[in-house]
Amino acid sequence: MKRISPADHLLLHALADQELDAAAALPLEARIETDPALADEYARIVALKDRLKGLPKQEVSQDFAARITAIAGGKSSSGRARILSLDHVDWRALAACLVLTALLASAGTYLVTAPRSDAAIEDEIANDHHRSLLASSQTDVLSSERHTVKPWFDRKLGLSPPTIDLAGEGFPLVGGRVAVVAGNAVPALVYRRRQHLITLVAMPQSAGQDQVETPHAMVVDGYNTVHWAAGGFKYWAISDLDADELESFVTALGAR
Amino acid sequence: MAHSDEAAAERFRHIVVPHLADALSLARWLTGNGFDAEDVVQEACVRAFSAIQSYDGRGERAWLLSIVRNTCFTWLAKNRSRNLVLMGTPAELSEAQGAIHEDLALDPEADLIRKADVTLIEAAISSLPQPYREVLVLHDINDLSYKEIAAMMSIPIGTVMSRLSRARKQLAAQLGQATQ
Repeated sequence: MKRISPADHLLLHALADQELDAAAALPLEARIETDPALADEYARIVALKDRLKGLPKQEVSQDFAARITAIAGGKSSSGRARILSLDHVDWRALAACLVLTALLASAGTYLVTAPRSDAAIEDEIANDHHRSLLASSQTDVLSSERHTVKPWFDRKLGLSPPTIDLAGEGFPLVGGRVAVVAGNAVPALVYRRRQHLITLVAMPQSAGQDQVETPHAMVVDGYNTVHWAAGGFKYWAISDLDADELESFVTALGAR
Repeated sequence: MAHSDEAAAERFRHIVVPHLADALSLARWLTGNGFDAEDVVQEACVRAFSAIQSYDGRGERAWLLSIVRNTCFTWLAKNRSRNLVLMGTPAELSEAQGAIHEDLALDPEADLIRKADVTLIEAAISSLPQPYREVLVLHDINDLSYKEIAAMMSIPIGTVMSRLSRARKQLAAQLGQATQ
């Protein structure tokens, strides 16, 4: 069968999703009519979309809808009666309640709007490392073979950090797992030094950013940690190894 | 009650409440189960209510869903970061495929077949890599446009398109109707 180019693939999906304007849609429709390969692929996309459309609609229980409506100050039928009979309310209690609500609301806003500092990220990374040590398996993909680990990340996350095996330097690669940092799923590589594990979190920098930071060491939650940025990734290496050995790990990785 | 509070409550009922089903289904796909989804959506609605006065009123469904998405990630980071990728393993998928055959053997009723098909599709969606799954769910289940998804995830439209096409390709392959 004739191969369809990746660009045509995207166009076929966009056409099925009605995301193409007429100027792009008309010539593509004409090509579909004359090219059976395009027509087949288009039919398959539409069939898959139909199958997904056939999934049952999400149900919202009455109970849940009532709970949500109550967030805005309870104007459900039972809530209305309570609000209208304010003359029975103890005003001191109501005042205290209003102050508390204001406090909670401003705390909530703060949490929503507060910028995430790297310090918070480091805490999350330390937590992730700590949790992984408690878990029965420290890795989601167990392999010292970097050609296994790298495609695994590609499949799981659609991206993969440089995966270097340092067995020759005394830091064999154990495997990889996914850590959640600052709301993003990011790759974490796991290396071993004797009986100590090193977690190397590689967080992709946002598009267009390519900061380079030289390694600097710190201690987070009692773990030695080294942070640096290079090659489009921000890295954190964390371990209960002593600081010197962790530093030689970072040097072996070639952090610059 | 102050006039602005009443106005906020009114906006909340008109903007947020009608989209609870979408909010729940997104949260269910991102957290992996229905109970967690209700907690996450409730938390997201509290955030939405506190932000509703400053919201400009455009694309209300996309606005709510992006709050749900952020809440999901905070929640996942706090509660079970390691489980995020563990659902939808190949083992679970083949289990679901086993279930469909058993169901078919036991009872050929149409709705049973449909139920098994739903299980199969849902298992296949769960097994997609997270960034692909997210785009697929936002587009094919929540019906957001390419543009809305690109804005919500802060990625270019081209990335939305390629993730969506890859997601569908994987899904089709798993469901045995391989594209190409």
